[in-house]
Amino acid sequence: MIDVKNLYKSFDGNEVIKNISIRFEKGKTNLIIGRSGSGKTVLLKSVLGLYDIDKGEIWYNDRNLIQMGEKERKIMRQEIGMVFQGGALFDSISVEGNIRFPLDMFTRMTFKEKQERVAFCLDHVNIEKQAFKLFPSEISGGMQKRVAIARAIALNPKYLFCDEPNSGLDPETATVIDKLIQNLTKEFEMTTIINTHDMNSVIEIGESVLFISKGEKEWVGSKDDILKTDNKKLNDFIFANKLYAQMKKG
Amino acid sequence: MNFFFNVGRYFLMLKRVFARPERHKLYIRQLFHEIDTLGVNSVGIVVIISIFIGGIMTIQFAYAMSNPIYPSTLVGLGTRDTLILEFSSTMLALIMAGKIGSNITSEIGTMRVTEQIDSLEIMGVNSASYLILPKIVAVVFIFPFLFIMSVFFGLLGGMVTGPLVGVITIPEYIEGIQWLFVPYYITFSLIKSLVFGFLVASVPAYFGYYVQGGALEVGKASTRAVVNTNILILFFDLILTRLLLT
Repeated sequence: MIDVKNLYKSFDGNEVIKNISIRFEKGKTNLIIGRSGSGKTVLLKSVLGLYDIDKGEIWYNDRNLIQMGEKERKIMRQEIGMVFQGGALFDSISVEGNIRFPLDMFTRMTFKEKQERVAFCLDHVNIEKQAFKLFPSEISGGMQKRVAIARAIALNPKYLFCDEPNSGLDPETATVIDKLIQNLTKEFEMTTIINTHDMNSVIEIGESVLFISKGEKEWVGSKDDILKTDNKKLNDFIFANKLYAQMKKG
Repeated sequence: MNFFFNVGRYFLMLKRVFARPERHKLYIRQLFHEIDTLGVNSVGIVVIISIFIGGIMTIQFAYAMSNPIYPSTLVGLGTRDTLILEFSSTMLALIMAGKIGSNITSEIGTMRVTEQIDSLEIMGVNSASYLILPKIVAVVFIFPFLFIMSVFFGLLGGMVTGPLVGVITIPEYIEGIQWLFVPYYITFSLIKSLVFGFLVASVPAYFGYYVQGGALEVGKASTRAVVNTNILILFFDLILTRLLLT
């Protein structure tokens, strides 16, 4: 569980996140949605500790991120997996090398154990053995995302962060990625936070949805509530897509 | 103001670079990779440039010393001392700043804009240390070897070119390169090459590590890195020459 309390973040006096409080539940896919420039990425990176916040508290279970020293943060980060928008795979090493990297860096596993873990993670994201030796530039965008997910779960994290995990993917592959993240969240009992503006993701896996607008918390609910809400800003955001407008009418 | 900001941030980056590595084995593996990529891959260009410059200097010294009052041994002496004191240390560092420096900036800069550095940080890896320390150690380690190689091939270039164009004989040239030899010049230039090696790796790494934006900014950062490294090499050349040679 991650608890965010009264979070404020500004850049050069410009307040980007204003007084956001939210609880991200364990074992659920927690989505952050909002227009481009609404502050989603800043919120995500603040929760991750990549940005120093102005005010507020960020609790990872019973540990306050803000009060942690550099050493404690480093240790805690080994409990975090992150899937970046572009995959962020290390392009100078192979697919299996990417998964093995955190294992090499932070575990005392034998080579055989590492290979087994690599195979386990890649198998969980449906990457075939033939692709293990390929380099990131030699695989498709969808595969890169799946490898990025496999790398994120390599150290068996408690917390999984995904920044626009299905951007740039076709709708079918995007659904596969969404479902994969949801299944992994359930299987490994992780606290998953997904940053997205893809309404398909919201409808597919939005167990808990936070809608932010201009850096403020505007609405919180689930995918079932989202089509029934009266919140004007949220309705404007969702029903900009005619398909969802028809769903609401229908 | 911007100058002081960059100097301050450069030293803060170095503090992170020289922090205790998370896993020594991985750093050593990375070090061998960098020695190969940045050092061994530079040997060819160093040999070619040194042979040609050695040959050109021999012809030019022979032309300048064409007056019969100058002994012909001066050609070899001039070539040797110019190679040792300036070309094989300073000029070579300037050339390497272009080759190795732009490589380092573009590699680290691309990792920054594609979020690979953020990815390392999220994992809890000290990205500055993991990416930059092996490069600095590799370049500082390889530079003295490149210097020695450059002096050798420069002298060889002179020995081949001089007799070939008929400006000096091989015995005269060999006698010249042995005449009034000061071993301290080698020590002096080795010290310079260590300092320049550090600059050639760390300054471009700084520009790559803090790049913001996309591919265009990475290109601009590479250019800025090479220009700034060149200026710093010349500045430190002046200081070291003043401190160690006069």
